[in-house]
Amino acid sequence: MSVLMSIQEDDFDIGVEHQRLKSAGNGVGAIVTFTGLVREFESDPKSADFQANLSTLTLEYYPEMTEQLLAEIIQQSFDRWPLVGVSVVHRVGSLKPNDQIVFVGVASEHRQEAFQAAQFLMDYLKTRATFWKKIEVDGESHWAEAKVSDNVAAAKWEGENVEKC
Amino acid sequence: MVNLEIGKQLIQGHKKLINLLFFGRLGEFAQDVSQSYECSGESMTPLAIREKLTLESEALGQELSEPQVLVAVNKMIVKWDHDVCDGDELAFLPPVTGG
Repeated sequence: MSVLMSIQEDDFDIGVEHQRLKSAGNGVGAIVTFTGLVREFESDPKSADFQANLSTLTLEYYPEMTEQLLAEIIQQSFDRWPLVGVSVVHRVGSLKPNDQIVFVGVASEHRQEAFQAAQFLMDYLKTRATFWKKIEVDGESHWAEAKVSDNVAAAKWEGENVEKC
Repeated sequence: MVNLEIGKQLIQGHKKLINLLFFGRLGEFAQDVSQSYECSGESMTPLAIREKLTLESEALGQELSEPQVLVAVNKMIVKWDHDVCDGDELAFLPPVTGG
């Protein structure tokens, strides 16, 4: 079994992370990975047509608390599915368009649990882990607003809670 | 001996402060308000501290009163009526937007 959790300023290499999951333990038959990137365009929720060039994305987090929350989310994924390996890498600090922000990778015996756990990890990370995005567009910066659709996605997992504890 | 006592008092004095942290957009509203409160023996709650902060900045008070804002004491999410005192770290957390 292998668990990797990292909050870092540096970029990550998905090849290295994939290899880590491949050698997570005996019986790995499926690996699902997700990589989140900084979008080049920022759309304004108030006007559907508006799009502006994003120049910088700054990610703030709460040291220690964010690690604790990520560890809890990863633990929940192991409680729900028979997984062999989970890796979560989240970058903080100053990022540019097209930069990698987040990596979630899951290794398991069969594909279903890997797909589901990867989706679960992202849905919970987006709504529970203490990260905040500041977006700089055309020289002006503002803090990103939480999306209702993310909460709806995360809420779908609540009904099928099969935690042991 | 004397120095030790002073040292102890300094440590204890420092411990009695409730340190405040404001994350995300809340930080922008909190630049000119107290960053810590003295507990002075009695316990306080995040709600009481929010009321004190509102007296210092109405705009911050409004932001902190948004129903989605959460509070954490020593990095654990708590209710607004949770006791805080003696060296606690109280953080105000707007809705998260990572990933």
